[in-house]
Amino acid sequence: MTVREKVQGLGLYPTREPVILALLSALAIVGFLAVGGLSRMFHAQQEALANRWFTRGTGDLKDGHFDLAVGDFRAALRYSRDNYDYQLNLAQSLIGLKKTDEAYAYLINLWEREPENGLVNLELARIAAQKGQTEPALRYYHNAIYATWPGDQEVQRRSTRMELIEYLLGIKAKPQAQSELIALAANLGDDPALHQHVGDLFVQAQDYEHALAEYRLTLKSDHHNSPALAGAGLAAFDLGRYSLAQRYLQVAVAVNPGDEQSADLLKTTDLVLQMDPYQRQISADQRNRIVIEAFAAAGDRLNSCAATVNSSGTRSYESLEQSLIDSWAKMKPKINERDLRRDPDLTEKAMDLVFEIERQTKTACGAPTGTDLALLLIAKLHEGN
Amino acid sequence: MDLSPNSQTGTAVENGPANLMTAVPMHPRGALLRSVFREERLFLVLSVFIGIFSGLAVVCFRFAIDWCRIYLLGSGATLSTARLLLAPSLTGLVIAVLVIHVFPLARGSGVNQTKAALYIYNGYIPLRTAIGKFITAALAIGSGHSLGPEDPSLQIGASLASALGRRMRLSRDRMRLMAPVGAAAGLAAAFNAPISAVLFVIEEVIGRWTAGILGSVVLSAISSVVVMRWFLGSESLFRIPAVQLERPSELIAYAILGVVGGFASVAFSTGITRLRPRFKALPRWTQYFQPAIAGLLIGIIAVLGAPQVMGAGYEYIDEAMHGQFTWQMLAILAGLKIVATMLSFVSGTPGGMFAPTLFIGALLGAAVGGAEHVFLPHLSGSPGTYALVGMGVLFAGFLRAPMTSVFMVLEVSGNYSIIVPVIVANTIAYVISRGLQPTAIFDVLTRQDGLDLPSMEEQREENILRVEDAMQPPSGPVLDAEQPLEDVLRQIEESPSDIFLVRLQPSGWSHITKQEIRTKVNEGKGAVTLRSVLPMRHLPVLHPDHPLDMALRYANQWPLVPVVSRADLHKLEGVVSERDILNRYRAFEEESGD
Repeated sequence: MTVREKVQGLGLYPTREPVILALLSALAIVGFLAVGGLSRMFHAQQEALANRWFTRGTGDLKDGHFDLAVGDFRAALRYSRDNYDYQLNLAQSLIGLKKTDEAYAYLINLWEREPENGLVNLELARIAAQKGQTEPALRYYHNAIYATWPGDQEVQRRSTRMELIEYLLGIKAKPQAQSELIALAANLGDDPALHQHVGDLFVQAQDYEHALAEYRLTLKSDHHNSPALAGAGLAAFDLGRYSLAQRYLQVAVAVNPGDEQSADLLKTTDLVLQMDPYQRQISADQRNRIVIEAFAAAGDRLNSCAATVNSSGTRSYESLEQSLIDSWAKMKPKINERDLRRDPDLTEKAMDLVFEIERQTKTACGAPTGTDLALLLIAKLHEGN
Repeated sequence: MDLSPNSQTGTAVENGPANLMTAVPMHPRGALLRSVFREERLFLVLSVFIGIFSGLAVVCFRFAIDWCRIYLLGSGATLSTARLLLAPSLTGLVIAVLVIHVFPLARGSGVNQTKAALYIYNGYIPLRTAIGKFITAALAIGSGHSLGPEDPSLQIGASLASALGRRMRLSRDRMRLMAPVGAAAGLAAAFNAPISAVLFVIEEVIGRWTAGILGSVVLSAISSVVVMRWFLGSESLFRIPAVQLERPSELIAYAILGVVGGFASVAFSTGITRLRPRFKALPRWTQYFQPAIAGLLIGIIAVLGAPQVMGAGYEYIDEAMHGQFTWQMLAILAGLKIVATMLSFVSGTPGGMFAPTLFIGALLGAAVGGAEHVFLPHLSGSPGTYALVGMGVLFAGFLRAPMTSVFMVLEVSGNYSIIVPVIVANTIAYVISRGLQPTAIFDVLTRQDGLDLPSMEEQREENILRVEDAMQPPSGPVLDAEQPLEDVLRQIEESPSDIFLVRLQPSGWSHITKQEIRTKVNEGKGAVTLRSVLPMRHLPVLHPDHPLDMALRYANQWPLVPVVSRADLHKLEGVVSERDILNRYRAFEEESGD
């Protein structure tokens, strides 16, 4: 700076500086007020546009027009970039369009902002489940179960847990599904439909004891609930409680004659009850008749199976079948009412051979039906006794 | 500007542009110093006001762009074909008329105009330029031209500052600095990143660091950002993703991004620098249609499936950072954005290249990251991390502001763990870009416009001559101030030199001529010490690392200047004279000529 330049400001600043600063301050205030007015106008317009597009998007999402909804929510986000609901709805629309990667990107951001949001965790769990990523899927499902939900939290958490159970059953993780089901069953309330659904899930998880309990709870308030009756019959059947199964299935078939599955199961149950020589309530003669009948049925099954095996030429089974045929032929002369009456151990020996025949023929020739199936179930029932 | 004293009135007359002309009375020296102090203080206070006014202007500019977009292109995310084609092309016609007839200075780069104000026009930028830039750039960006609001914001800030400086009748030096101070404020508000804005203005416009400048630039940038955040909120331009770098070996992935970004930068800048003169050389009447045709072509790109290339595109940077495009789509969009921005810029449509640069960088980065993930799935970097690094890469490679590029990414991401990938990638991109295109884009544009502004990049790279390059060993003995004159005379009698350095005790240096010593001895003072007859002249000292132009200042006043060690001020490393310095400069010129 030259001396002359420095001189320039000399008379100017001492006299003018305060006035200038005051003027500039006043100007800044006026500017702030003016821009504040514009800003209010701008933000109001942005908000209105955001709401308009969001409303439109919500409608499109509800109607299943995911592509339109995506455009609407994107437009809404243009005016309110960080709006949580807009992003969540956009993610849901993207999921609807099967653009899971894009949806995941939005959801993971939302999750970072609110890790305790139930819906976000649920959607992330669904995406992870869809991609076959079990560990993150389980993590997000559990997060969702314990997360914060709008509205009725219990209902949301319950339905999330049910979804988790269905997912676990889908990936054949039955022990984990059973644990979740037990936790779920503890907080079900009195809704019979819910108990019935949980009963079904227990059946899928092969936890028949709990399933039966759930069906019973359903039937307590709705005695003629056909699916619950059928479910209870099935659960009791699988538990080997055939008398109980028979009672439930009889009512189920009576209430819903079109229920063929229950009718078939009832037939098998009837057969099991007819063919079981170990029932307490039957007389000795009746027991002996059952043993003779079972022995004959096992022989028929063995012969027909041997014919099938011989025609297919499976050597490993051939030798097995032969030893069973020999055993059966050797015992056959003794299996009559007189010998059975005379030798109480013969009943046991005969039934052991019958059960062995049914087991081996199942392995060699496939699952049996009718009497053979009943005998196999009886074998299973008395295993270890 | 020229200052000449008026002897009759005792005033200094400043001869500059008409509105700068002023006359003030002369004052004594003490008052003068006080006034200087006052001006410095006032300059700092003014910087705050510049920031406030620039912030307000940039907020209005942002509103204007959004309103233009809503009314010209529509408020939805999916735009109709008619609007996509008509809005940019018809608006292009209006812009051309405005630029040719009403606001001729609205055309061109705001950075270069601010530099021109600093180096040529004594800080003068007409307010009309700001108004023109505001209107035309808002129309252009709002209608979908592939340009950004940062450069116009920078120029609006510079123009407002210049106008304020003129009103305040600041001295010439202060006036020159007003434009860069305003530019920093405008850029900071547009970017919502005060540190990057300050660095950019220092690195690319002013080119030097001094406390006075830095203070003003920082004050204006911060105050403008505060104003901007007051009205628009503090959220950054895009949502910042989580940044990860688990293994140092992953730096190789970022290095690849640096290579790709370097070549993309060269392609982008080569396209602009080659096409721009050809467009300018077309007949004048075509200038009415150039922005319209560019707009139509951009509209066609949008209709064909890439509406993302329209406008500044920050929302798409945000989407790219959050993995909402496949890497193939990202690469296509980055390529199309280069084409669209070239079209918009070379057609003379007002608007800046910062936002497109960030867009291209972010999408290219995310594309490279995505492609690398396909082949190397174990890489931990998210698409967002690559997009962030990619922005810095293009900033370094295309705008050639290496330091700003690093700090911009850090400031925008707020995450310092990204610094190593950013430095690696940016450096590679910068080196490739420099290697393939030696002149930076801003400098090429300046030269195409017929101006010769100093190139900050060239200045940074300039070889500086230092004192050690010119210094010589002393031609005669170094004398001790405590020696008797007779001894001294004996010592120097045979020496061809006429002038000798004297080492003073306990410290300092002086010099004396052979003739002076002889005279004193002839006067009968042979027994007295050299100190007692030395004239009162303490020599300034130089160190070998001092710049040579500093030595020139002293050599002008002293026949011989000692060059001493910084570790021991008594240890003489050499001497420099005016002749040595001039010889060295001459030799340097010849070396440069070769």
